[in-house]
Amino acid sequence: MIGVELRKTFGRPRTWTTIAVLNALPVLVAVLLRITDLAPRPGEGPPFLSAVLTNGQLYPLAALAIVLPLFLPIAVAVVSGDAVAGEAQAGTLRYLLARPVGRTRLLVAKLVAVLAFVLVTVVVVAAVGYLVGTLLFDAQPAAAGTSVSGTSLTAEQLAGRTLLAIGYVAVSMLGVAAFGLFFSTLTDSPLAAALGALAVLVTSSLLFTLDAASPIAPYLPTRYWLAFVDLFRDPVLWRDVVRGLALQGVYVGVLLTAAWANFTTKDITS
Amino acid sequence: MSGHGRARRWAVVTALLAVLLALPAVVGALPADDADVPAADLRDAVAASAGVAFSGYAVSAGGLSLPVSDQLPGVADLLSDRTAMRVWWRGPDEHRVDVVSAAGETGVHTDAGGAWTWEFESATARRDALAALALPAPPDLVPAALGRRLLSEAADDELSRIGARRVAGRDALGVRLVPAAPAASVARVDVWVDGGTGLPLAVEVVADGATVPALDTRFLDLDLTTPPAGVVAFTPPADARVLPGEDTGGLLREAADRELSPVRLPAELAGLARREVDGAPATVGLYGSGVTLLAVAPLPGRLAAGLRSTLAAAPGAVRDELGTRIAAGPLGLVLVEPPRSGAYLLVGTVTPDALAGAAAALTGAPS
Repeated sequence: MIGVELRKTFGRPRTWTTIAVLNALPVLVAVLLRITDLAPRPGEGPPFLSAVLTNGQLYPLAALAIVLPLFLPIAVAVVSGDAVAGEAQAGTLRYLLARPVGRTRLLVAKLVAVLAFVLVTVVVVAAVGYLVGTLLFDAQPAAAGTSVSGTSLTAEQLAGRTLLAIGYVAVSMLGVAAFGLFFSTLTDSPLAAALGALAVLVTSSLLFTLDAASPIAPYLPTRYWLAFVDLFRDPVLWRDVVRGLALQGVYVGVLLTAAWANFTTKDITS
Repeated sequence: MSGHGRARRWAVVTALLAVLLALPAVVGALPADDADVPAADLRDAVAASAGVAFSGYAVSAGGLSLPVSDQLPGVADLLSDRTAMRVWWRGPDEHRVDVVSAAGETGVHTDAGGAWTWEFESATARRDALAALALPAPPDLVPAALGRRLLSEAADDELSRIGARRVAGRDALGVRLVPAAPAASVARVDVWVDGGTGLPLAVEVVADGATVPALDTRFLDLDLTTPPAGVVAFTPPADARVLPGEDTGGLLREAADRELSPVRLPAELAGLARREVDGAPATVGLYGSGVTLLAVAPLPGRLAAGLRSTLAAAPGAVRDELGTRIAAGPLGLVLVEPPRSGAYLLVGTVTPDALAGAAAALTGAPS
């Protein structure tokens, strides 16, 4: 079941088109930076973009920071919103469930496929970022870089923290995926499910900037998204990273339970 | 699927959600252990806590909107914004305070000879020598340092106990300072003190007539193990720009050398006695004690004109024959420009009436 869903997701041309489009923006930014040599000042623009002119190995991080606020969540929302509602709209959900597999198993398979999409997307963005960064900018393989706190990081430390950051960004997207999957069980329209997940994100991002909403800020799904920057402080500031992981875990747990409660008891008519 | 099964499954979801939503409230409502320690003893314990080593994470929220965001952006942000700080404290002259923002950081590394300030945003490192007088900086807002400073001159009869509360997962004993001076614009200062070490864990400063604190700083995490020296020390990275420090001492000497003050400062202003301050030029007068302080400084004409237009543009500014006045929380500020003599700046934690009285005393006008 899981293998079938994975093949379905990654066999579709549109999955790869989405990933390609996602990579277009960081590549465009890198080319523009290379041509103009105009990096934003540190602390302005997406995190780490200022440092890539001197160290191209940081470009995977800059690429992730560029797609993190909007592009990446949109892609995840579209794919996860399509998971169940797409089958319903195409009229294939009935036939899927006519096979002797439980609905819970189908939901788990859909979830695993969405998670795999998130992971592959993030890793591809980081890998393309690395290629583009080392091709277009100076790489410093031996002496690595400066942490946000002004201390020196060795190349190994930098590589390790970059891997952690890639993992953290992937986990940050799980909440979006869970919202998309849950809405996908509520409606027969994949578009409505994706827009529902995006509406949650826009609401969360907006509330996060509002002082009046500060009492609920720690519970907003986008609250800790930028905490991957904390991995590059010295010593690492684990506080927000740990909270971000826990928060995504809670959203995924609650929404998947709700998706399960809804989907396994729903009348399938299409 | 039967309706019964559907109800049961949704009940599982609802129960899970209820537990998760109630969790923060339950943790927040954990009772704190109070101890029978007199307020004066708590103050003494706080005064003796400067050598206690710790590391932690603190957040301060300021409600003082000073009209100095152009001239002193750092100070304006510090007192009006939410500031998240990481603190490593080995002793009074060996500590590090990082102000953490979403995509940057400003670290102040203090050692026996001075302080390094690292700014990630501009990739600069600045070395400042220790100065007797300095502008407010992030280390001043660390609850432990601020609590120590605010309680340092509190008299026994100004202090009372206000129960206990949990701060950063520790039991903190509350002590309230209500300044006795009639001129005081601070209604109260609440300091929550760790019973074992005497470290202030949270400080709230409430202005006269206000309900929300003008300044609220608290630890969210605290660890009482001594942080390693390597974390506190700082060496500028190779690619950083190293800037010369701000020469506060030179500025003060320059101010002292100027013949600015034709007016002799009185021994008492607004009912507050004049006090001596190490390192302050003789032309600057400081009055009061504890959390009720008033500073008087003569200003050169050019500076006074700039300040006058800034103050006049600030919301809530009052302009009358005594000068231009504003108030930000408990902090009052008045620019006095008597005819036929230089300008004076009066600033302090005194009530608007006391400020007007002091201004009148300086200009010789009836208040």
